[in-house]
Amino acid sequence: MAEPVHTTATTEHPQEGGFPPLDTSTFPTQIFWLVVTFAFLFTVVWRVAGPRINGVITSRRSAINSAIAEASKARAEAEAAQAGYETSLANARSRANALAEETRQSLNGEIAKAKADADAEAAKAMAAADARINATRESAKATVGTAARDAAIAIVERLTGDKVSSDEAAKAVGN
Amino acid sequence: MAMNPMEQFAIKPLVEAPLFQIGGHAIHFTNQAAMMVLVAVVASVFLSLAAKPGRLVPTRGQSLAEVSYEFVANMIHSTTGPSGLKFFPFVFTLFIFVVCCNFFGMVPGTFTVTSQIAVTFALSSLVMLVVIVTGFMKHGIGFLKLFVPHAPVYLLPLLIPIEFISFMTRPISLAVRLFANMLAGHTMLGVFAGFVVSLGAAGGVLSLLSIGPMLLIVAIMLLELLVAFLQAYVFAILTCIYLNEALHLHDQH
Repeated sequence: MAEPVHTTATTEHPQEGGFPPLDTSTFPTQIFWLVVTFAFLFTVVWRVAGPRINGVITSRRSAINSAIAEASKARAEAEAAQAGYETSLANARSRANALAEETRQSLNGEIAKAKADADAEAAKAMAAADARINATRESAKATVGTAARDAAIAIVERLTGDKVSSDEAAKAVGN
Repeated sequence: MAMNPMEQFAIKPLVEAPLFQIGGHAIHFTNQAAMMVLVAVVASVFLSLAAKPGRLVPTRGQSLAEVSYEFVANMIHSTTGPSGLKFFPFVFTLFIFVVCCNFFGMVPGTFTVTSQIAVTFALSSLVMLVVIVTGFMKHGIGFLKLFVPHAPVYLLPLLIPIEFISFMTRPISLAVRLFANMLAGHTMLGVFAGFVVSLGAAGGVLSLLSIGPMLLIVAIMLLELLVAFLQAYVFAILTCIYLNEALHLHDQH
């Protein structure tokens, strides 16, 4: 390890038995190379590698975020379209209901009117029929009274040979 | 013993002659320097090329880069809040550097950079430097309130020195935790590897027994892979916690 050529400043070390990490003669060389390599790596990380990796991560994140934003926009649009569809469906349904109701109302009116007309006609027919029946009954009654008087006159004449006046006969049969 | 388990931590120049001198110290190109260069280059190339702008569906490599990026970003965000994110390049570099050094060091025959106290202490000192500079830039002299906890006044003469000492020992604990974990794990692996070689060389029944330490090496290796990640995570999250204190003192973020 510590060859005589290694350093001019420190004492020589035995080849075996020393503890190399504490061999101060190697320290200047170690520190020199550490500074060079660390500074080099730091510069590369600071100026090249860091910004590059950061750029990739940032662009991926923004791509993902914009994709998510686009997707949520599309979903909002789809939801709006569905809401519009449902609104128009509800409108159409209520219009159809109103129309059906209106139709039913007008039909009911017509039916009621037709029924009322029919009822009135039937009542008129019934009244006419009643009047006819009454007239017939009256004339029949009158006919029955005359027939009973005539019959009484004829019966009396046959039995007694007397002629009774029609007034007497009529009184007798209670007419 | 045929092998010294400490030998794996020896820093050896790969080129005999020093590259140059800085303030009288010779700078060599060593096995450790090669590992650090490898880590820095591999991590830089991977992190720079893995993420291709516009590729929204990641490849395996890009996933790894993105996951580590977001792991560290979330770590900073959850400990310091949004205001700590300006330290992202620093914390991310620390985490990547430590985790790569730890994992590359797990490959047998390589050198574990983070098993050197000089490296870990330099890193923890850098963290403390950033914390102190941030604290004074944000709060001015008021940053010293960090050492004054919310407590009854008569306790403060006791608490302020304690807070001060605990702050000053942070770079040491941060450095030693990483260093000792990596050193201990690799030493253990070295010791058991030494057993395998010794038993194998002994011949006869003893050679068959060498399967025991071999299996143990496999088990410890798995444990060390966990430790390699965990210590990098601990290093990074403690950095975040210290930065949070510098940004917000004792307040919550």
